[in-house]
Amino acid sequence: MAQMNKKWVVLCSTAITAVYAAGYFTTETEAAMPPLPHHTQVSIPTNDISKNNNPSNVKSTYTNKHHISPKSLYKDGTYTGMGNNRRGSIEVSVTIKNDKITDVEVSHFAMHYSESDIAGLPSEVVQNQSEQVRNVSGATYSTRAFQDAVQNALSSAQNV
Amino acid sequence: MKRTKLYMDTAVSIQIVTGKSTSEEAVTQKMNQAFEAFQKVEQACSRFSPDSELMSVCQQVGVPVSVSPFLFEPLKFALEIAKWTDGIFDPTVGKIMEYHGFNRHYLTGQSIESPSAATVTYRDIILNEQDRTLCLQKPLVIDLGAVAKGFAIDLAAHELKEFEGFVVNAGGDLFAGGVNDGGEAWEIGIQHPERKEEMVSTVLLSNEAICTSGGYERKSAAEADVHHLIDPKTKRSPKEWVSSSVIAPFAMMADAFSTASFLLGAAEGQRLMEQAGLQGILITSDLQLVRVGGL
Repeated sequence: MAQMNKKWVVLCSTAITAVYAAGYFTTETEAAMPPLPHHTQVSIPTNDISKNNNPSNVKSTYTNKHHISPKSLYKDGTYTGMGNNRRGSIEVSVTIKNDKITDVEVSHFAMHYSESDIAGLPSEVVQNQSEQVRNVSGATYSTRAFQDAVQNALSSAQNV
Repeated sequence: MKRTKLYMDTAVSIQIVTGKSTSEEAVTQKMNQAFEAFQKVEQACSRFSPDSELMSVCQQVGVPVSVSPFLFEPLKFALEIAKWTDGIFDPTVGKIMEYHGFNRHYLTGQSIESPSAATVTYRDIILNEQDRTLCLQKPLVIDLGAVAKGFAIDLAAHELKEFEGFVVNAGGDLFAGGVNDGGEAWEIGIQHPERKEEMVSTVLLSNEAICTSGGYERKSAAEADVHHLIDPKTKRSPKEWVSSSVIAPFAMMADAFSTASFLLGAAEGQRLMEQAGLQGILITSDLQLVRVGGL
């Protein structure tokens, strides 16, 4: 590998160090202890945006697709949902805490399609190439099917 | 062991090659910590979540605000690349991206519309290294799409470095650590920009990252001919490259340089990679492969 431009390498490695130096990342021992309140991955639309406001008159506006109510929208817990695309189906498990999605894990990937499809790489191509080629750069998988699966899970979590 | 979760509008897969002596609980714990890196970076840097650290900071103009390293570090890196490329790469491109329809949260469908001054550049963001604050000179929207994912990959890789081998793959931008099951370097394919099911090339990586910026995956819903890589000066998507893959010792570096070389176009993009001593594969709009750095 060619000689690297040190400036960029140093910037990257100090960036990682800064996260640990600030104590933002749990160490192994801390991880074994009861978890601290979690940052949430995404927010779910609610009409209570006042907590995000500040005295500045510069504010963002957010539009919601769905009808919303002031009480909690979703029950806490982990819910599964399905999504489909032309390659097959995807099952996700969505974890909800205090009306926030805290985690989305792909729990099952299309019945008769290999998981390498996630990189747009059908099984026959894998077989023709080296067995080791399972990772492909430049293959951003559309999250549309995942999004459907998440919406499906959210509908079963709804607090009605 | 391999698991997949969703973060940053991308399926993030982590696979770990474990030695016989490693207990399953130990692997699971490290795996969870690696995923947690994505959660923390997304929570800090998302342009689509009203309650992200980034969006709350963007509501305060003219005042220095303390920020966490999950936001400070990738932003600092992005601003350095912006200086280096004279603003062709510019993290203040967020409002232009919103305008082109990249304004919807991938999970909730919630769209966002943010205030912004008419003309903004990276010079409108002042970072103070001493007290680690950020100060916006004008209302603007910061987009860290070209660095945040890379930074999360690097943090996740840092959590996994003790294993014999691992791959952190966030939608095709990835870090390959150590060796694969067979004790060899990881063989990584580079996707064909038009025929998704083919690869144009493969590379062997060990303790290195590769990121690909392509104009073929995320198209604007609002406007034909525009994809998610936008030149802030012309407000359009450049056309000289269709794909730019960069190999680097860190994913944040590979991520930023693949985007920057894509935006700079043919001659300048290639020169940028050579200046930084990086290897990569660029693909021209007539599908010619250009190998850089002796790859």
